[in-house]
Amino acid sequence: MAFLELHGLTKRFGDFAAVDDLTFTVERGSFVSLLGPSGCGKTTTLQMVAGFETPTEGKIILDGKDLSGIPARERGLGIVFQTYALFTHMTVEENVGFGLEMRKVSRAERKRRVADALDLVHLSHLGNRYPRQMSGGQRQRVALARALVIEPQLLLLDEPLSNLDAKLREEMQLELRRIQREANVTTLMVTHDQSEALALSDSIVVIDHGRLRQDATPFDVYETPQSSFVSRFLGKSNNFSARLESAGPDGSKLVCGSLDLQGPRVDLAPGPVEIALRPERITLVGADAGQLRGTVAERVFMGNQWLLRIETEIGDMLVMRYNTGRAEAEQGATVGLSWKPEDIRILPAEETSA
Amino acid sequence: MRRNGPLSILFSLVFVSFMLAPIVVVIGVSFTPEGFLEFPPSGISLRWFRAILDNPEFITAAWISLKLGVAAATVATVLAVPAALAIGQGRFAGRDALQALFLSPLMVPTVVLGIAFLRFLSLMGLNGTFFGLMLCHAIIITPFILRLVLASVAGLDRSVEKAAISLGARPLTVFRRVTLPAIMPGVIGGWMLAFITSFDELTVTVFIVNPSTTTLPVRLFSHITQTTDPLVASVSAVAILFTVALMLLIDRLYGLDRLLIGEGKR
Repeated sequence: MAFLELHGLTKRFGDFAAVDDLTFTVERGSFVSLLGPSGCGKTTTLQMVAGFETPTEGKIILDGKDLSGIPARERGLGIVFQTYALFTHMTVEENVGFGLEMRKVSRAERKRRVADALDLVHLSHLGNRYPRQMSGGQRQRVALARALVIEPQLLLLDEPLSNLDAKLREEMQLELRRIQREANVTTLMVTHDQSEALALSDSIVVIDHGRLRQDATPFDVYETPQSSFVSRFLGKSNNFSARLESAGPDGSKLVCGSLDLQGPRVDLAPGPVEIALRPERITLVGADAGQLRGTVAERVFMGNQWLLRIETEIGDMLVMRYNTGRAEAEQGATVGLSWKPEDIRILPAEETSA
Repeated sequence: MRRNGPLSILFSLVFVSFMLAPIVVVIGVSFTPEGFLEFPPSGISLRWFRAILDNPEFITAAWISLKLGVAAATVATVLAVPAALAIGQGRFAGRDALQALFLSPLMVPTVVLGIAFLRFLSLMGLNGTFFGLMLCHAIIITPFILRLVLASVAGLDRSVEKAAISLGARPLTVFRRVTLPAIMPGVIGGWMLAFITSFDELTVTVFIVNPSTTTLPVRLFSHITQTTDPLVASVSAVAILFTVALMLLIDRLYGLDRLLIGEGKR
């Protein structure tokens, strides 16, 4: 049995279902991200796990125990809020010690555990500071220490890195992963940032419009998205409507506009489908080679890589090339686009517009 | 920082002079050796300060005003803080109506309020009592506290309270350890504003005082309706001194700019 289980969790506000029949599990000690665009219901889900919102339907089971009816203050979960929510009139030590104080932990033991928690987040030297005297990254660590010091069964992170600038965010990603591993705490993180989810998680639960779209490892979510939404939400993707002509054990035949394409084997019935192709899987070849010919419409240099928008007969294609030390095809140049048939993802045609 | 142009410096000078001129005049007049109000004073004399000691009814009135201000401001604060939390954080029917009700003493003309209070206190059998007077003052000054506390409640991050709950705090502990400290600048600022409002309230008070509960403003007012000697100026000067001392004390203890602006000396 999984450590945390959500069964058919639903939250309705009037007619609007913010969270709609959500079911997934989190294994003990793992790091799971709830990923989705803003307003997709991921924060509401977190609030229900935390006990600040009551589910309309469904159950949350933590370590075999049903959480419904248990008030937030008795759930013993560690929560890091988007705003960090530090107690501004208390020092760092008082902030971190607050949860222990509520648990009537003796002063000596409290001191020891606060020191351990601050050590874990590398803030031992700043225990007497007030939050306002600290940088965003440091506050983030205080919030983490405060949540972890109570040795929670479950750590909940609500967009923990969204208030940090880009450089600090990357540092904190690694740091967050280290702290989570060292504390060995089961973690559920809410985020709208796909790179954050990919970098940190053992498993990603993609949510859209309150519904679960995919629940898999970061690699699988990126490599084998099961819907058009997931393919476009994680990373960049070239998506086109196509028609599946035939699907056999050796691969499938597709028609996309005027183009005949080979694809990998697929478990879909012939008919309208959507195909997705990652920009980094496309190579540029001579104008007369490759599956498709196009004109470079835009070329953006990003340091380690080039991003090119290429106009083709089936539509615009994004192509990403690593910077290998020589200039890529210039704007206006005619190029050939080539890819391996197995790099194409064949997805069920999206019925509702996202 | 941007430097001020000559026009804005002129404006500030005029503004500050206008604010301070009455105080300068009152303090100047209080030092006159003459038996009438004169400014600038023809000499320096403490005659009218000594005269306060010969008029113990002023001292009694000052004590009553002080006690009344403290009691009324405290009662009003105890009422206004929960009200501000409910109005500022709650989502319930009648929220706007409740806020309007609490702020209504600001909108009703004070003369009307005075007459209403007079009638109301007689009905309750509280006419002429300190308790009745205190209740009326508490009602008049509640809006001042409510406004300031509401402002600090609006700046409150709800997730701070949630963080405390998730760490195991009970509702009362959350209020005492987290919510109240966070809105403290508004509460203290509101209390002070309320105290000062009560301390110099005249219009309503004249309707409901009796000789045993005469406040300082009422005493001063009835004194100048009979005579115009500089005693009123020396009493006022002492009151100003007292206010300045209070401000300095609060600044020492708490930081005035933190109180009035919400930031600064921390």
